[in-house]
Amino acid sequence: MLLTLIRRELLDNLMTFRFAAAVFITLLLVVANTVVLLKDYERRLAAYNTALKTHQDKVRELKAYSGYELNIDRPPNPLSIFNAGLDKRLGNQVRVYHAFVPTLWDAKMHGSDNPFLNIFTSIDIIFIFEVILSLIALLFAYDALAGEREQGTLRLVLAQSVRRGHILLAKYISAMLCLLVPLLLSLLLAMILLTNNRSVSFSPDDFLRIGGIVLTSLAYLSVFYFIGMLISEVSRRTSTALMLSMFIWGFLVLVYPNMILAVMSPSRPPRAQVDSAMKQMEQIWEEFDRERKDFLINDPVPGESIWFKIGAVGGSHEYLAKRALALDVHFRTGLNLEEINERSEPQVPYAQNYFRFLEPRVISTAEKTWLLREQGLKNIFVQPASMDRILLKFSPVGIYDSATQAWAGTDLHGIRDFFDAARQHRQRVIDYFYDTKVFGTRQWFAGDKQTVDWNALPQFSFKRSDIGINTERALPDVCLLLLINVILFTVIFLIFVKSEV
Amino acid sequence: MWHIAKRELYDNLNSLRFALATVLLFGLMLTNAVVHLREHPVRVQKYHDAITESLNRLRARTDLYEIAQWGPELLHKKPSPLHFCTDGGDIVLPGTIYQSVSRITNDLYTFWYLSYRYRTPNSKNIRPATIKVDWEFVIGYVLSLIAILFTFDSISGERERGTLRLMLANSIPRHTVLLGKFLGALISISAPLTLAVLMNLLIISVSNNVQLDAEAWRRLGIVFFVAVLYLCLFLALGLLVSSRVQQNATSLVILLLIWVSFVVFIPSTLASIASGFSNPMTYDEYRERHDRLYSELGDEYNARLQGTRELPTERMQLTGEYVTKGAARGERLSHERLNQEHAQIQLARSVTRISPVAIVQHLIEAFAGTGFERHRQFVENVQDYAREYREFVGDMDRADPDSPHTIGVREGMSKKPVNPEAVPKFEDRLSLSRDFNTAAVDLLLLVLFFVVFFSGAYLAFVRVEV
Repeated sequence: MLLTLIRRELLDNLMTFRFAAAVFITLLLVVANTVVLLKDYERRLAAYNTALKTHQDKVRELKAYSGYELNIDRPPNPLSIFNAGLDKRLGNQVRVYHAFVPTLWDAKMHGSDNPFLNIFTSIDIIFIFEVILSLIALLFAYDALAGEREQGTLRLVLAQSVRRGHILLAKYISAMLCLLVPLLLSLLLAMILLTNNRSVSFSPDDFLRIGGIVLTSLAYLSVFYFIGMLISEVSRRTSTALMLSMFIWGFLVLVYPNMILAVMSPSRPPRAQVDSAMKQMEQIWEEFDRERKDFLINDPVPGESIWFKIGAVGGSHEYLAKRALALDVHFRTGLNLEEINERSEPQVPYAQNYFRFLEPRVISTAEKTWLLREQGLKNIFVQPASMDRILLKFSPVGIYDSATQAWAGTDLHGIRDFFDAARQHRQRVIDYFYDTKVFGTRQWFAGDKQTVDWNALPQFSFKRSDIGINTERALPDVCLLLLINVILFTVIFLIFVKSEV
Repeated sequence: MWHIAKRELYDNLNSLRFALATVLLFGLMLTNAVVHLREHPVRVQKYHDAITESLNRLRARTDLYEIAQWGPELLHKKPSPLHFCTDGGDIVLPGTIYQSVSRITNDLYTFWYLSYRYRTPNSKNIRPATIKVDWEFVIGYVLSLIAILFTFDSISGERERGTLRLMLANSIPRHTVLLGKFLGALISISAPLTLAVLMNLLIISVSNNVQLDAEAWRRLGIVFFVAVLYLCLFLALGLLVSSRVQQNATSLVILLLIWVSFVVFIPSTLASIASGFSNPMTYDEYRERHDRLYSELGDEYNARLQGTRELPTERMQLTGEYVTKGAARGERLSHERLNQEHAQIQLARSVTRISPVAIVQHLIEAFAGTGFERHRQFVENVQDYAREYREFVGDMDRADPDSPHTIGVREGMSKKPVNPEAVPKFEDRLSLSRDFNTAAVDLLLLVLFFVVFFSGAYLAFVRVEV
């Protein structure tokens, strides 16, 4: 009986105009945008490759260890074509050196794009699904029960010995099968376009991630179908059901996500919190500076200069940098000499002594401020952002968006993985410095005698988190979507069973 | 006709969609006003602090050479009081124009020139991206959706119920029926829209923090007119589809798909496609050309300097020449880059005009004094001011008979102290007539869209069989 019902519903749905229109428009939008997104991805990849090359060359030009300052680049994520998330927006290059712990707030964009282009909103495949699939699901659902009731066919069907649950199930299954067609077909075309492109290379894991995205899309679709069905059941008339579904769609998809953040979230970080964190970090560095100056005064060379009366060609720097917007205070000091006068050779060991004393302290102080900064960044930037994301999750669109971002690895976690890798790389470089004991050598600050073999240093590499971690991050949202599905189905079932025909 | 309009109006007023539309419009407009009142005073305060700081620095200089070398300090864009109409992407457009100096040789720097730096505030922003709830959003997205939901069944619905036949059996011309329906829908949406807008303006203007002057009200009037025109356009589209199609459901599906593609997707998709047509100078390219320019200039200068060892006057004149030349070349290069970037955006924006929502966006931006066109106006104001400032330096130098009149070198310029009040101050201005000129094309296009859709609806309705 169930099968007969499903067949009937399926034929009913497949022959409609709305089905044809839905398939057509989804295909059109997805294909057109995939082409655009692919081009965009290619451009970002090319920019990444150029940046990578120039940055590596730049390191090779350095003569002394203390100048080590590698700009590492974040590769564009190929799955950002599905859900761009934060991948395109956040900074994609960050400097790594021993005296500073890098975070995503220190990252920059490589200068390859017209910055004015940001005034246009960019869309991705998931955004198309968010808007179109939910709309189509509602259009399929609004007359599911109300329509039959109006035509009187519901009475006829129930007159036979059909269980009410079966009717609901049949309607649901057949509609979902119909809705799957535009979803899968458009994804298939997108995948054909993507896999035939040489610059996009998907690993096997990526296909699994895309599978996760498809499953999440399915859950999202079914949430909206159930919402439509509930409206259809409650309102009993097709015209009312249609109106209600359209307004609810407009509210959930269009209005709520934009409105709630405008109303709820403060636009700027709390001043007092920023100031106190900045002050604490400054104090730490000031203490470090005192210790440093004490050393300089007490050493055999008079004065506080870090040149130690060495006659040389080169540069030095000593400054405290502050950026309140990124909650960053750091101190840089160093000496970088290209040539040293014969006569000042006896002075060189003093400088060596100084840096042997200084650099471990620089590193430990940097780490001490990092602990403070990490906490501050969490309180001031990360927490409001996760609060925003929770607020967005009151609409299925928000849940769907965050789940697909987690699958694609373009969410905040995915981006932070990269910066975690950058910090690990810094740690490895520092370990290497300690192991080879370069702080006390002449090569640390002078490149005149012998140059550094940069290939011996640990090289940076970054791999996106593996599929297990993606699943772990996406699972709560996927479960939430499934839970909403179950709740909605139960509610519809209860109402339908109790209702008079 | 009025009879039909009145009937439509009563029909609509009692309906669910009217109630929902009213609630939605009021909610959004209220949000908009509250957010504006929270954010605007901060924005204005920031602007005032910034210009005071710039002015103080400018006032601290009395030496003509210093004035000529360092330029007029940071120049800031004046925030529009009508920011609540549309944000216009102001957050990604630079609000400040800087001056740079470049190094020609080791100890020779150019005079100041305008260089355009950019804001990428989003590169550190980890919060989810959203569309601002401003008038543009309410009008562009929500109002058009409401218009569709009010008209999709206006003719097909009557046909389904059979009342169309009844009505046409009377001696009413068809165009009267169409016009009546159109007016009915127009009035029943404009009423809540007007009330919501008035409530929004009331909240905003009652507050002490935001002042709206006569010109702002004129601009608001135009924005409201644009909104109504846009509403008419979608009503006409709804009537067109509704009279061509037999069933309500089909009509709605077609309209929604048109709406989704034209309002939500086409603007951004077309913008991305169109911006691929041109390749403006990238920042890296710019840096490279900049460095090459100054190393060439430095070599040239050094070569010519060799010949003037014994001639101090010539030497001074040569140095002055290169200092000003370097600034002029640097400015030309940064203009070139800016113009290329602007041209790319301009092209993308013109292509998006296929979608009415983009047209409305451009119009509201133009009249609210935000967005890209406004930014170009700001850049032009700054360029005019830069010219005025340089002329002032030249005039001051010429006015001093003791000066050797070699601009670019300290010894070559007037040593008389300059009255800081006499230095021209930058004032960022907006002119309504100019905005009208830039908006004229968009306004005409919007009217054209409306006329096409409305005559389409008329033809479709006149020729349709009942």
